[in-house]
Amino acid sequence: MSNEMSRMKFFCDDHRCIECFACSVACAEAHELPTGISRRKVITLFDGIEGKEVSTSIACMHCTDAPCEQVCPVDCFYIREDGIVLHDKEKCIGCGYCLYACPFGAPQFPRDGAFGAKGAMDKCTMCAGGPLETNSEKERHLYGQNRIAEGKVPMCAAVCSTNALLVGDAESVSTIYRKRVAGRGKGA
Amino acid sequence: MKKSIILFIALLGLASVAYANESQIWGEMRIQNILGYGQEESLKLGVLFTMLQSKYFAWVFLGVLLGVPLVFFLHYKIVGPKVFPHSHKKHYAFNLFHRTVHQIAAVSFLVLLPTGFIIVFGDFFGGGTLVRMAKNLHGLFTIPFAIVVIPMALMWLKEALFNLEDVKWFMILGGYLSKEKQIINATQFNAGQKMWYWVAILGGITMILSGAFMFFLDFKMEMLHNITGLSQIDLLRVAAILHNVMGFAVVALFITHVYMSMFAIKGAVYSIITGYVEEEEVKILHNAWYKKLKEKGKF
Ligand code: HEM
Ligand code: SF4
Ligand code: SF4
Repeated sequence: MSNEMSRMKFFCDDHRCIECFACSVACAEAHELPTGISRRKVITLFDGIEGKEVSTSIACMHCTDAPCEQVCPVDCFYIREDGIVLHDKEKCIGCGYCLYACPFGAPQFPRDGAFGAKGAMDKCTMCAGGPLETNSEKERHLYGQNRIAEGKVPMCAAVCSTNALLVGDAESVSTIYRKRVAGRGKGA
Repeated sequence: MKKSIILFIALLGLASVAYANESQIWGEMRIQNILGYGQEESLKLGVLFTMLQSKYFAWVFLGVLLGVPLVFFLHYKIVGPKVFPHSHKKHYAFNLFHRTVHQIAAVSFLVLLPTGFIIVFGDFFGGGTLVRMAKNLHGLFTIPFAIVVIPMALMWLKEALFNLEDVKWFMILGGYLSKEKQIINATQFNAGQKMWYWVAILGGITMILSGAFMFFLDFKMEMLHNITGLSQIDLLRVAAILHNVMGFAVVALFITHVYMSMFAIKGAVYSIITGYVEEEEVKILHNAWYKKLKEKGKF
C-alpha cells in the first residue's frame, strides 16, 4: 500500500460550502446516473439556525482499509495505487453488504436486476472509471467518465464555485486547508 | 436560455433533496449514521458486521458444511444405520396436506441452502452472472417457503412441544450412538425432530424476515425504529448478522435432518413420500406414540 499522505482524498470545507448542489448535480449529469442514484450529496445540519447551520458535501470517502472491500462476498473491490477505491460492476451481485459496512452510506443500488432485486452497486469513483479499458464506451456506460485518466479534476470539485470541495493527495489537501484555517484565524 | 438552464438545475437539485428526505438510509438519517459510526455510545454495528463478515462468517459456514457431514460419515462407518423390516404393518401418519406442505418446504430449502452457499463463497465462484443468479433464486425460493411455514408450524405444533421424556432422549442422544435397537419412549416426534422443528420454523421465519429486510433495503417501518431504537442502516446490519448466524443453525440441522431420514434410519424418508410409517420403526423409536396408536387400534 502506498504512503498514507499520497492517497487521494476528498475534503469538504464546511466554512465555504454554500449548499448550492452544484457538485451533486454536475456529478449526476457527467456520469449520466440513473434516477434515484446520487453519488454525491449535499447535506445541511441545523437548517435555519443562525450561527449553527452548516453544510457539507458527501460521497464515498475512498477510505484507507476500506470496510466495503473487506466484506464483499465476491471480492470485487480493488484499491488503486493512489488510494481510489473502485469496484467491478460485472462481478458485483448487489448484495448490499458494502452498504452495511460503509461508515458514510456511500454504496447505492439501482433496482434493475431481475424481479426488482438490487442491481450492481453504484458509488463515487472519484471520476476514475472502473476496471474496463480506460475511456472505452463500456467503461463510460458502467462507471461514468474517467476524468482522472484524462488528467482532469473530478467533476464535483471542478464545479465547486467556492472551492469548498477539495480533492487531491492527502498531503496537498491538508496543506491547502491549513493555509485557509490560518487565514481565517479560526475553525479547524 | 441561460435562466431556464439554471432553473432546471435548481429543480433537479430540489428533486434530489426531496428524494433524499424520503430515504431511510441516504436521507437526513445519513449524517447521524456517519457521526454515530463506531462511536463509544453507539452499538458499533457497522464495525461489528465488518469484522464478522470479513473474518468469520465464511469460515464458520465452511466448517459447518464440512464438519457436520464428516461427523455423520464417521457415525455411519462406526455405528451404522438402523434398519427396520418394511414388510410389516404400516400406519398412515402424514396425509396429503402434510406431505404437500413438507415437500414445498423441502424443495425451497434445497434451493435456498446451495444458493446461500454460492453467495457466501461468491469469490470462489468468481462473482458475476452465476452468483447473481444464485442470489435471485435465493430470493425467489423464499416465497414458497414463506407460504408454507405457518401451515407447517401449526400442523406439527402439538407434536413439537417439549416434554420431560425429551430430557432422557438428549441424555442418550436418542440411542443413535449404539448399534443396538433400544426402545425409545418418544411420541410422534422425538426430541431431535422437535429441535429441528423449532429451528426450521423459528429460524426459518427469522431467515425470511432478515432476508426480506436485505431485499427491500430502503423501506420505512416507524414501529420497528421505535421499538428497537435502531436506525434503518443498523436494522439492516442486525438483519445481515442474524441471517448468517441463524444460517449456521439452519444448515447444521438441515444436514442432520437429511442424514437421519435418508441414511441413519434406512428408508425413513419414504414415510413423508407415501405417508405411511413402519410399525417396527415406530415401536422402537417412538414407543409412546406406538402405544397410543395401538390403543386406538391402528396397525
Ligand atoms: C430458511 C432459509 C432461508 C431463507 C428464507 C432466506 C432468505 C433470504 C432472502 C429473502 C435474502 C435476500 C435476497 C436479496 O437481497 O436479493 C437472503 C439473502 C442472503 N442469504 Fe438467505 N435465506 C435462507 C437461508 C440461507 C442460508 C442457509 C444461507 C447460507 C448458507 C443464506 C445466505 C444468504 C446470504 C449470504 C444473503 C445475502 C446476500 C443477498 O442478499 O443476496 N441464506 N436470504
Ligand atoms: S464505499 Fe464507504 S467504506 Fe468503501 S471506500 Fe467509500 S466511503 Fe469507504
Ligand atoms: S453489493 Fe456488490 S460490491 Fe457491495 S458487497 Fe455486494 S457484491 Fe460486493
